[in-house]
Amino acid sequence: MPDSLSQFARDLMEDIRRMSPRNPADAEAWFGAQAWRLHRLQAAANPVCRAADGAGSLSEGDGGDWRTIPPVPAAAFKEWDVTALLEPERLRVFCSSGTTGQVPSRHHHSRESLAVYEASVISWFGPHLVPDGDRAPLRWMSLTPAAAVAAQSSLAHMMETVSRRWEASPSAPDHPFYFGTVDSDGAWQVSVPEVIQALEAAVAAGMPVLLMGTAFNCVHLLDSMALRGLRLRLPAGSRVMETGGYKGRSRTLTRTELHGAIGERLGLPAACVVSEYGMSELSSQAYDGVAGAVASPRIFRMPPWARALVVSVETGQEVTEGGTGLLRLLDLANVWSAMAVQTADLAVRRGGGFELLGRAPAAEARGCSLRSPDGD
Amino acid sequence: MNLPNLYLADLPPEAVLTPSLVRDACIAVKRNRAVWLAERPTQELVELLAYAAERWMTPDNGFRRLALQQGPVDLGMGSATLSRGLDAFLRHLSVESLNALITQDLGDARRLDEFSAPAGELRQGRTSLVQGPELLVHVAAGHLPSSSLMALVLGVLTKSAQFFKLSARCSVIPRLFAHSLADLEPKLGRCLELAVWPGGTEALESALWEQADCIRVEGSDEAVDAIRSRAGTRARFIGHGHRLSFGFVGREVLSGYMARKVAGRVAADVTAWNQLGCLSPHVIYVEEKGGVSPEGFAEMLSEAMADREQSEPRGELDVEEGAAIRSRRSLHELRARRHLQDREGAETVPRGAFFEAPGQGTRVWGSAGSTAWTVIYEDDLAFRPSCLNRFIYVKPCEDPQRMLQAAEVVRGRVSTVGVAAAEGRMQDLARGLARWGVARVCPLGRMQEPPLGWRQDGRPTLGDLVTWTDLELGS
Repeated sequence: MPDSLSQFARDLMEDIRRMSPRNPADAEAWFGAQAWRLHRLQAAANPVCRAADGAGSLSEGDGGDWRTIPPVPAAAFKEWDVTALLEPERLRVFCSSGTTGQVPSRHHHSRESLAVYEASVISWFGPHLVPDGDRAPLRWMSLTPAAAVAAQSSLAHMMETVSRRWEASPSAPDHPFYFGTVDSDGAWQVSVPEVIQALEAAVAAGMPVLLMGTAFNCVHLLDSMALRGLRLRLPAGSRVMETGGYKGRSRTLTRTELHGAIGERLGLPAACVVSEYGMSELSSQAYDGVAGAVASPRIFRMPPWARALVVSVETGQEVTEGGTGLLRLLDLANVWSAMAVQTADLAVRRGGGFELLGRAPAAEARGCSLRSPDGD
Repeated sequence: MNLPNLYLADLPPEAVLTPSLVRDACIAVKRNRAVWLAERPTQELVELLAYAAERWMTPDNGFRRLALQQGPVDLGMGSATLSRGLDAFLRHLSVESLNALITQDLGDARRLDEFSAPAGELRQGRTSLVQGPELLVHVAAGHLPSSSLMALVLGVLTKSAQFFKLSARCSVIPRLFAHSLADLEPKLGRCLELAVWPGGTEALESALWEQADCIRVEGSDEAVDAIRSRAGTRARFIGHGHRLSFGFVGREVLSGYMARKVAGRVAADVTAWNQLGCLSPHVIYVEEKGGVSPEGFAEMLSEAMADREQSEPRGELDVEEGAAIRSRRSLHELRARRHLQDREGAETVPRGAFFEAPGQGTRVWGSAGSTAWTVIYEDDLAFRPSCLNRFIYVKPCEDPQRMLQAAEVVRGRVSTVGVAAAEGRMQDLARGLARWGVARVCPLGRMQEPPLGWRQDGRPTLGDLVTWTDLELGS
């Protein structure tokens, strides 16, 4: 039977499930072979991937280095439907939460692709946020809106996925899971009084908390707590997962500042604050450490079925260790879209992982560079 | 060559500026101005400036050599690019041009020294004296050195004490120029002060605004507005926000030979100051139905850009700036290939599953293995600001009207339109551009080389700084 994306997905799910520690050489060979296999399938099934390939890599077959697989720019997801799914197969679409007025990225999913997405989420979230295993008592709280009201958010879907897997009950009235709402402009808000009440209840019960949300969700919460002069000391074993940027939805903090504020208001050391790097265009995420043991410097790592490459902005080639460049991600779980995605994020290469460079507000930008009206 | 410690900007980086240091510096330059500069004959200053420029133009001039050594690091541009930019400015700094500027803006070259008037006004029994501000404060927010040098020249002509708040990125050359004036005439050097601090440092800036009689700011619109709102109303405020520029190539110059020449001139404009100035083009509109198509012109431009890179390398960029170019270039490359797929037809589109609108036609030419230069041809007329550092769009247009419609998004913020067209069309073209709101129309190839008397943002630069006293003569 000829190979297909569905077959690839089935094989990958099996590999993700069995992903026992392989020796590095095997893992590398496995990744390379699967990357080329998926690249060929995508180029055949998806015109955007084929266009990105140009005349380049396909003729080389799969003997070459996976680093040479040509990526699709993340911005392509704004311009085209980067998908091999036919219209009727498209069940969900995850959109980027870019600033208002911009065309969002669109990442289409089917039932099958969501299954891969969820397998990937669970298998990498677990070891980083619940390393102490399934039975650790933990109160799960998400500052995001529920997936039902934020259907186009991949993060809300991720929250839904992990809550289902770890059987936190989103609907149980005594312990709600979601603390976010969507206002009439589509912006995310945090129901601060309810969060504080739930956190205080957890403190009173001595129940550790897993608090998850975007960076701006966290700032909304922490700023409100600061206004009320409120400081909590969350029970030992508590942890926070924060992700994503600010997009003008709150004041902007550096990651260190945010983690410092979490320490100040929630009584959590930085080692208990895990940053997640994800984007709607991907199906796998990177984490910068394991809850309770996040070390400095914080290095993001992708799961074994994905790779992060930092490429030179000048040459497009991978930078050497410690070099700065654009972050390129190869995610085998992106089966029906594009496996290799070139982001516009700057990162530093650190071992097999990367350090994300905060987008420092360019103090005094050079040149007469008026903001582009269409924002690209 | 070691520079003496003359200015706050000469202090070692660990030195801490305080409001009282800034205030004392302002008071000192004002006192020095009163003693020496205020009554200096204008012609003496004109000759001094012209002589300073002449010295800077000599290849072995120490200040120039320092500028070409340190400037490229400071500015992130190759030294050949810097040297061309400096010379383009210095060439205009002659006795003749300086006098022409004074006459143009003030009506009579003697007016800075004594009551005088051109004949027409004298016949009406009027004569006038003009005076510059006592302390002229300049804020140069990350701009090209040439605009700071121009600002300095204006302040010398108005016989003002001057204080420059420079940005860290762009301080070397203004500082060297001030030192070179001090070297020629120490007393003039003592009427100048230069300092570097991060924009928005309120304690230092309020000390400065308190002393200023006129504040001249160049920077982003946000920076200009922020300073305007904080500076109070005591001092006169002159703000020059960011502007952008574009080019137009008329169909009649699009014969093979001429087209190639024009492409070379466009490459000169795009590479000048690495495209970072308000006068640098973002887009070149090329009229359709000429001998060479707009797409063909883009290709010629790409060859000219490659040649320029050979003789005048762009230099190294910050990784953020390079990333902007790389990201935009790769999106356009993908668009170009998508467009080809659409043109090649149905067999590449599987199972009729994709109902996307055909992509806009686009083509990309770029330096291999670097971001040194990029030419993007796009069917889509809409004006699109470039990410600069030698990244240029070429777009077709039916006629100048269509071009202006497409540029509507930047109307009111356009400085210069560089034009290559038949002489017979220039009057009409220029009138259309003027009515639309363009402040300067010049030949392509000279966009970044405005004459000394050019009116920035459509305003007289020297005229805006001075105040007049009219003397009405009795009969």
